[in-house]
Amino acid sequence: MFKKLLFATTASPTCDNAAKVAFDLELKWDAKLIVLHVLGVPTRGFSPFVTDARTGETEECDSDYIDWVKEEMQNTYGELLEDSENSVLEAVVGAPHREILRLARKEKVDMIIMGAHTRQEDVGATRYRAIAGSTMQKVAKAARCPVVIISRPCTTCWKLFSNIVIGTDFSKPSEYAFLWAYKLAKEVGAKLHIFHACDISSGNFGQIQGQNEIEQKINEARERIEKKYISKMKGYDNYDIEVWEGIPYVEILKFAREKQADLIVMAHHTRDIDPEQALLGSTVEQVVLRAACPVASVNHPDKVADLDG
Amino acid sequence: MYQITLKNDGAIAENNKPVTSGPLIFLGYQVELEKDYTLRGFFRMFDQYALLAKLNVFLPDCLQRYRACPANQCVSSEIDHLQFHKTVEMIGFPGDPRLEIYNTLCGVRGAEACELKSFHLESLLDMPLKLGKLKHVVFGDKVDVFEFETVFSLFEFIDGIIWELSFQGTPKQCAI
Repeated sequence: MFKKLLFATTASPTCDNAAKVAFDLELKWDAKLIVLHVLGVPTRGFSPFVTDARTGETEECDSDYIDWVKEEMQNTYGELLEDSENSVLEAVVGAPHREILRLARKEKVDMIIMGAHTRQEDVGATRYRAIAGSTMQKVAKAARCPVVIISRPCTTCWKLFSNIVIGTDFSKPSEYAFLWAYKLAKEVGAKLHIFHACDISSGNFGQIQGQNEIEQKINEARERIEKKYISKMKGYDNYDIEVWEGIPYVEILKFAREKQADLIVMAHHTRDIDPEQALLGSTVEQVVLRAACPVASVNHPDKVADLDG
Repeated sequence: MYQITLKNDGAIAENNKPVTSGPLIFLGYQVELEKDYTLRGFFRMFDQYALLAKLNVFLPDCLQRYRACPANQCVSSEIDHLQFHKTVEMIGFPGDPRLEIYNTLCGVRGAEACELKSFHLESLLDMPLKLGKLKHVVFGDKVDVFEFETVFSLFEFIDGIIWELSFQGTPKQCAI
């Protein structure tokens, strides 16, 4: 299912968890793994100087410098590279998200793997920063393949895949996310948990929804899942459907914990809006930061096209 | 004046008298913690003042997890105590220059702070909880951090702790 993987890294300890998963996947799927580090942004035009992506300091960038960066990457991932059979290291100069997307497109990768944010500490700050990590956000928005974001040490999940949660809001991107999750669940023999949260936080301001109204919404959502998704599963019966009410990201996190999910799959932005205008949907962002397991953001139909229809 | 003490039995005390009326008026008051205050004392507060549980979307879930924990001996040998502190951080790169102010709950071992997301609530509830200082980080320099005395309001205290705990959730099977 995965022939080519791209692991985009800051080559810092914050990406260690993602690195383990990336190298694990390479072995599990017998895939080619491209480890990419964008080392800096050119100071201007074709300048020989770059602003280091991590420190902000200006460095003179020539082929020696790039070789040195690759050597550093080799040292950083030495242990993982020892077991690796088919991986290449790449270090390039440019705006990180653009270079990641460029390489993903050029190499036609099946999946991009990233860490959630560049700073491990101070999760308090993320609240006010409003974004999980701007590179991750931009990549997840524009990538044509699924982007898997890993923020926790989760070494067992991908090897012992048994529970995949797909969070849907019935939008078109959610459908792609579902198809990809289904394809993966079928491939690895995992149980697929199709989940929808009826948002009771929004609606008419100040108007409290009655229990009957909520239950009716839950039943409607369940019917919609059966009609829209189950019909596409062509006999695959290792699934369950759950509809909860509440605030979507809180409920998805609770559900994933209860089911001991190994992967959460969601659409990048869950509303039907122009992808060019979409920021990382706040539901995905909140889930990415808090989920104990990897979160896959799917935005385009490209990698699920063979299943559609 | 404008100060309240949080007791380990969950009571909020003003001038040494437990508050029995609605707690919302005290949200802006400066918080002091009783000696030997623990994280369990924090959660007991919501048993006494249920209205406060509406302050954060993650609170009901946290309370549910708290109620499923053992009644005592919820301690960890990996940290000495929990500390709630404030950070003011000037950031110049990456992105536009900005100033961020936020509260953090972390574990302290010796002089080292450690993040809590890999701990389970059942190993933290009976750990002592202390108020820390304000840390001023200038342009990413985490070595020479300035520290200042500061105060915390009840709202900051509740909201900051629950925000931090909402990031907890590493499954036990992954911690093996």
